[in-house]
Parts: sequence; structure tokens; C-alpha cells
Amino acid sequence: MKFHWFAEVTYPHLPPDFRERYRSAWVTPPAHLIDPVKVGETYRMFIRLMQIADQVGFDGLTVNEHHQTVIAMTPSPNLLAASLATSTKNAAITIVGNSLALYNPPTRIAEEYAYIDCLSGGRLAAGFVLGTPMDSVFAYGMPPIEVRARFEEARQLILRAWSEPEPFIFNGKYNKLRYVNIWPRPIQKRIPIWVPGGGGSIETWDLVNQHDYCYGHLSFSGLYSSKPLVDAFWEYIDKKGGNLNPHRMAFTQIICLANTEAEAEKNYYEAVRYFHRNSAPGNFGNPPGYTTIRSLKASANQVSIGRNKLTPEDRIRASRGEMSFWEYDDKGYIIAGPPQRVRQRLRELITDLRIGQLIATPHMGNLAEEIAAENTRMFGYEVAPYLRDLWADQPDYWTPEASQKLVAANAPTARTDAGSRSTPSFEAKQAGK
Amino acid sequence: MTREKLGALEVRVWSGGSGAPLLYLHGFEQHPGDASFLNRLARHREVRAPEHPGFGESTALEENYDVIDVALHYRRLIESWRSAPVDVVGHSLGGMFAAELAAISPHLVRKLVLVDAYGLWLDDHPLPDPFALSPRDLERAKWCDPAKAPTPEPSAFEANGNAEALAIFRAQNLGTATKFMWPIPDRGLSRRLPYVKAPTLIVHGEADGLIPTGYADAFARSISEARVAIIRNAGHLPMVEAEDQFLAAVDQFLS
Repeated sequence: MKFHWFAEVTYPHLPPDFRERYRSAWVTPPAHLIDPVKVGETYRMFIRLMQIADQVGFDGLTVNEHHQTVIAMTPSPNLLAASLATSTKNAAITIVGNSLALYNPPTRIAEEYAYIDCLSGGRLAAGFVLGTPMDSVFAYGMPPIEVRARFEEARQLILRAWSEPEPFIFNGKYNKLRYVNIWPRPIQKRIPIWVPGGGGSIETWDLVNQHDYCYGHLSFSGLYSSKPLVDAFWEYIDKKGGNLNPHRMAFTQIICLANTEAEAEKNYYEAVRYFHRNSAPGNFGNPPGYTTIRSLKASANQVSIGRNKLTPEDRIRASRGEMSFWEYDDKGYIIAGPPQRVRQRLRELITDLRIGQLIATPHMGNLAEEIAAENTRMFGYEVAPYLRDLWADQPDYWTPEASQKLVAANAPTARTDAGSRSTPSFEAKQAGK
Repeated sequence: MTREKLGALEVRVWSGGSGAPLLYLHGFEQHPGDASFLNRLARHREVRAPEHPGFGESTALEENYDVIDVALHYRRLIESWRSAPVDVVGHSLGGMFAAELAAISPHLVRKLVLVDAYGLWLDDHPLPDPFALSPRDLERAKWCDPAKAPTPEPSAFEANGNAEALAIFRAQNLGTATKFMWPIPDRGLSRRLPYVKAPTLIVHGEADGLIPTGYADAFARSISEARVAIIRNAGHLPMVEAEDQFLAAVDQFLS
């Protein structure tokens, strides 16, 4: 069982009426709303938080690509990943990922990923994504119907660019390159590849099944929203005779740890509401052509499943910030409370969805740094070590070997008594290295 | 509607009438089906109205095709008809295709009618993004009077009243349209319009909220023998919203 630290790099100072005044948090929110100086402070905070995550035993530090949105100000996750490569020591750097269709030529992605792998000592997990519609087709102007074909061509080009020993010619439909010969090459001979999705596209399932990639169901709406699609994914893989190893499934979950339930509500409620209220895609979420007809037909059968626990009205209330803190918890959007409770709920989630890579999200919205830092520490010391037994009998081919060894040698372990944190000197020891 | 083989593709075609040949190319949302205006056009003509490649039940072209490939597809269709030259009426996205066809195959097109056509871009008059409008805003943009718009539209023929089937039909059609209209419906037609030799009528709904009438003038300026007919009380679909006026203008021009 692996635990990755992730948060959307959200702008934390939006006006309270942002949702009512602007039709979308994506593509068109006016850039004058954000102060570049405060953006810089936010970037530095996320780097500090991920340094803590590295020190308290997280298996991976996860970054992603989004454009033109208040909710995730990481247009190139590779820049953040490069900062982490030199300022962290153990954890994998899981980039989930680069939007392959958007770069011309896509050898740029092969180069930057190779650079990060070299710089981090072979700790890169390389994500290949289609990008959300807001990113790929609205912000970057790619016709929806071309995204998948361009993605596929770029994927093939990047893999060859990493592995072919000699310069080669690539005559693709979209990319014509006479001399492909990237420098540098990655340290890892077999870079773990993650292909996060979440929309339930069958074409993506076929791709990860065929190449044994790690799939990721990346959503922030939790168990009940995701279960129909995640179950359908595993059924599909099983039917195709594919690899059922849980480590090839990643899943995001917002975590709100505190010493008591009351303290959790006090510390996190405003930030959870801020995150959900300010992430609506407006009319940019579902353009024609982005999802194939085959996948549309398949997903039409899945949407009705699971409605008994999470109704369409629930989803609307959640996105408007109208749920109570414990409704968000009850409906699966967050997992909150003292460590014992969070462990138990995560164990159920992980087992139910068959997840081997939990992408824990200890920061959300406009959460204060010190609360996110404590959340991260509590997770590292008081939650993760107690769930390491899950899937321990199954090999993990989707986390880089180098980081697996480093984290295994340095991460906190579950304590056997009821006393203080398991390895209290660990963080200090790491920080002093 | 029937299915025909054309090269490697299958094309679904509405056909009707006999007389002078007329090719009708439909707009970005969908084929109009067995629409009244098509039947009336076919009273004295042989009309063929194919569904574009990748729309509805017509099979798609290979994935990295462009607008010239579509024009060549219609060149092949006209050649297979053995009645060239033919009159060509193209609406909306079909207007872009019709103009491209007339530019690269002038010998096949006797007269050309462009109806609220896409294909040009004027920086001073940016078009709204039809793929990002809410359903309500799209209705407002495409009809002069949304309250009087036909429900269901004649072009919803495909779904038989089934909402899910209609949603999938629309997703397929609009998805295919993004190939030519996303993010800006300009695939270089302005460079090729001067090659159009056919006498051309530019028909435009006065209240088209998707393509303002300034675009009709821009088409007319680039085509050597062109005139403009503005249809009152009509938006993006004058053949539906002001059928009589539309047919009067087209009949007069073609006769």
C-alpha cells in the first residue's frame, strides 16, 4: 500500500462572491483577481508542505497540470516537480501528469521527464493524461475530437524517444521529426507510467490494460461518486484477463485529520467549502467530441448506479458548499476526524475500491499552512503506518524502485504501545540530513 | 433516407424529386431530416442531401482529415451522380464545405448558395463559441424568436423522442463539427474564396446570433459574382424559421 501527497495548488484569496459573480472557475476567470506576489507565497507553501510529506514517510509527492483556473495554478507541473527533485530525498515524484496532446513536438515532455528523473535520482513516475476539457480543448484550443489521437501519437513518440539508442525518424500524422535523439535519457530503464482518468473512458481502460499502466481515478467527490466507475474498471480489466494488482489503481481522497471531531470541523470546514464552491467548470466541462460515443453509451449505464447514497441533488449541494462538514464526510467527499476513525474509513475505502496507490489530499482550498502541515504529519505518523499491511502480498511495479527503497528504509512504522508518535526523531533526523 | 457507398465510406442521403440536380449540405448541428424545405426544394429539382462524414450514420473520414478532404468527398459524390454541374446549397458548416468545393472544383458547381455560412473570421466581429453556450443561450443565438422555434426541431428525426439517443446523436454530430469549427471556424477559406467561379447567393438570417450579417458581406466581397439576400425574422436557420422567404430567394436565384 502506497500513500502519495497531493493537493491542487488553489489560489486562497478569492472574494467570497466569486462563485456567484463569475460563471466558471476555469478558462475565463479574470486574472486580475489574483495577486502574483500571493501566488508566489502559495507556491512556496506547497513546496514546504511536500518537503514535510517527504520527511514523514509519504511514498510519493504528486503534482498535476491545469491551465487558466483558480483551483490549480500549475500550468507546468514539471516546474514544481523540478523544485521537489532537489529539495526532497525519499519520495517518488508522481506527475499525474503532462497533457500529451498539447505539446508540439511532444519530445519536450520526454526531455523534461528525463531531466526530472536524472535530477531526482530515478524517483519519477511519469503521468500521461488527456487533460480535462477545460485544459486541453478550451484553454489550449485543441479540437476535442483530435485529443485522443494526438495523445496516442505523442505517447508512442515519447516512449521511443526514451528507449531508442540511436537517432530515429518519426513520421506521425501530427508530428514530423527527422532527427529524434533526446538528451538526457532517464535513469530508470522502465519508468512507471500512470494514466489518470476519471471520466470512465473505455479507450483509456484499454490503453492501461494493454500496457499494464497504473490507472488513476482522480476525483474529489469520494467513494460513492467513484464506486460505479472504479468497479466497472476492475470488472473490465478482469473480463479482459488483465492485471488485477491493486497497485495499478490510484485514487484521490481529501483527508481532514485532527485530535477530535470537533477540532476537525473547526479546522477544515471553511477550506472544504472554499474548495468545492470555487471549482465549478461552468459550460466548459463537457464539450462534444471529447468523450467518444462508445464511452458515452457505456457511461450512460453506470450513472444510475450508486444514486441511493449520492443523489444528483447531493452533488449540486456539495458543489455549492451547502453541505454541513459531516455531510461532506458522510457522502464521501472528505474523510475527517481523529486518526483512528480516518484509518478505519480509509481501510474500508481502499479495500472496497481495490486501491494500491492512495493519493491523500491533506490541503484543500484556503487551508492555513500550519493545519495542512499538521494534517500531513498526523497522516504520516498515525495513519499510513497502520494501513501498510494492505496489499502487502502484492508487488508494486508502479512506484519507482529507488523511492520504494528509500521510503521503506526511512518511513515511520506503526507503534505497538498507545504512547506518542512511533518514531518521533524521524522528522528531525530527516530534516537534519 | 438511404445509405450509399462512396469510395471507402458509407453515406446516408436524403433524396427527392426530379429535374435539375441540387446538392444540399447541412449545418453544424445535424442533418435536417425529412424537412419541409427540402421537400419543397425537390418539387422541381432532383435534390440530394447527404449526411456529412462522421455525422449521424455516415461513416467518418480517416482521423487527421481536413476540410479539403471533405470537399474532395463531395467532388466524388457529384461525379458519381453523373449530372454535373449541379447547384449547391450549403448551410452553416455545410456552407463552409460548399464554398471549399466550389473553389477547388469550379467545373462541378453551376450556382452556389451559402446560407448563414461558417468559414470566415473577422477580428472586429468575433463569433460566439457555439460549443460553450448553455442550451438556453444557444437557442437564443440561433433563432430569431426562440418561442416560435419548432419543437422538436425537424432535425431531431434521429432520436424518435428518446432523450438519451438525441444526446448521443448531438454529441456525435457536434464532436465531428469541432474538427472544422474548434476553436475558431477558420480553416483558411478566405484564401480560397477568390477561386469560386459560380454565381453565388449569400442568404443570411437577419437575426443570426451565431454569425452576424457582417459575415454575409465579407463572403460577398471575396467572391467575384455574389449578391446578398437578408432574410427577415430569421436567425441561423432561415430555411426553418422563414421557409417561404428562404425558398423564394433561392428559387429566384437558381431559376
